[in-house]
Amino acid sequence: MALEGRKVAIVGMGGAFPDCKDLSEFKQKLFNGDSLIRSWDLALAHGKNIRSTVSGYITEPEMDLEAIYSTLAADYPETYIDHLGRIPDSNLSTADVGSIWSMIGAQEAIKMAGWSTSETQSEQTGVVVGSGGAGHVILRTAWHNFFELKRKTRLAGSHTVDRAMVYRDAANVSCLIKNRGVCESIGSACATGLGNIGYAYRLIKFGLQDRVIAGGVEGTSLETFIGFDAMQVLSKGFVPAESSRPFDVNRNGFVCSFGCGIVALEEYEMAKARGANILAVIDNYHNNSDGDGNMFFPSFSGQKRLWKGLIDDLHIRPDVVKVHGTSTPIGDAIELLSVVDVMGNKDYQISAPKSQFGHMLGAAGAVELITAILMLEQQQVLPCLNAVKLNPELESFQKSTDWNGPAEPVEAYRDLISLDTIDKEINQIVCLNYGFGGTNSAMSISRDN
Amino acid sequence: MERQEIIDGLVEILKTVRTIDQSKLENVTEETDFIADLNTPSTEMINIAAKAEQKFDVEFEDDDIDDLGSKVKDIVDLILRTKERG
Repeated sequence: MALEGRKVAIVGMGGAFPDCKDLSEFKQKLFNGDSLIRSWDLALAHGKNIRSTVSGYITEPEMDLEAIYSTLAADYPETYIDHLGRIPDSNLSTADVGSIWSMIGAQEAIKMAGWSTSETQSEQTGVVVGSGGAGHVILRTAWHNFFELKRKTRLAGSHTVDRAMVYRDAANVSCLIKNRGVCESIGSACATGLGNIGYAYRLIKFGLQDRVIAGGVEGTSLETFIGFDAMQVLSKGFVPAESSRPFDVNRNGFVCSFGCGIVALEEYEMAKARGANILAVIDNYHNNSDGDGNMFFPSFSGQKRLWKGLIDDLHIRPDVVKVHGTSTPIGDAIELLSVVDVMGNKDYQISAPKSQFGHMLGAAGAVELITAILMLEQQQVLPCLNAVKLNPELESFQKSTDWNGPAEPVEAYRDLISLDTIDKEINQIVCLNYGFGGTNSAMSISRDN
Repeated sequence: MERQEIIDGLVEILKTVRTIDQSKLENVTEETDFIADLNTPSTEMINIAAKAEQKFDVEFEDDDIDDLGSKVKDIVDLILRTKERG
């Protein structure tokens, strides 16, 4: 359980962001109102076999990486070269591309945090990083060579396990930074990013660790993309920059994107004592499940219970609600109405950063927490691009006799959703993310006073 | 096939293994130990064996790989033995 008086600070951050060379460019483009979504040549190459062709993807050259392809197995990236010399070759040899982004993000976060080598390598330092998918790029080639081409297992090399295992991102970060505390991954679909950071928060809050490198990652992978494409849940029919349109009446799906968000968490008093720059303080984290047996459909009551658990008896009254806001027809409407049901219809703003970079799946919650930290820092609310027209009619579920939420159509809440970046005094932000399986997660962060 | 020719081919393979210190590849002999002298991670040994199969157009038996020593001469012997076996 939480220890009395023990607080958790966010003291560093880093990662990998679509169409951006680093966190600084990410910040600049976000507040400039840019879209980071592009047509994806890898998807376009499959013609009519693939439905959606836009993504917030990241190429290897954009991260100053180069894949070295095996001479033994076709299309198999045997290892990578880091042209900036950030990650040693021995660490690169055990990593898929998402794990490399995680290691780079961890280095950046630790540097920003200012942790010493002994602090980083302490038994009191943990690593909690996860991703939504498996190491699909690695596994597909290994399996294809064995099952389809009937070749020996060893031709795919000896790193299929470490480069594809569920907690590969955490393991690779831990082997790089040599911490001696916890090393684990939490998996909760599209809530994974926030879920890992929430678990890391609890490790510190409960007195089990003093510092944790935490976050979520989703390495660029057409293998991941096509699973969602087959479900027909991806955005289709818009130019790239207009494809992700949370809350807009014409939205027709999310933009499948990739990225990585890593934060450095530290026990508040320790961070203060060493003069660390406190980026934000975590007020609380809460997660729950819908409990309605539905794998996919979001739950209004589940989200209301999420808010109740987050607020608890704490003073949580955010100036900005950073929503999950995927741009799917049902998800956005239920989420907006659950936020309004708790928060009312004024004195706060809604931010849906997926409108700018799409849905990074297992990385979403972590990268979006970073956008929330940037909003606290900049005292600006990021825009909800493309939310041009909100539904003036009631949603079908609002017409059900069972419905006990707001009775106004989504359009009634226009003032909460800005198409442009706006200035605002921001002291507190609540971040929301949900995932398949009916999992819901919420974190509240505040400026350090 | 001459033994030196095989050693030269093995060095070419080792140049593609980025976890090996490339500066140590200048004086590779039959007595060079992959693990003790070149600090080759043990996980890379199977990759080296698989690439040797491809380069020298041979297919090792699993038992031969299991029993393979860590010196250059061990893999040279295995390649020649496998070639003789046809």
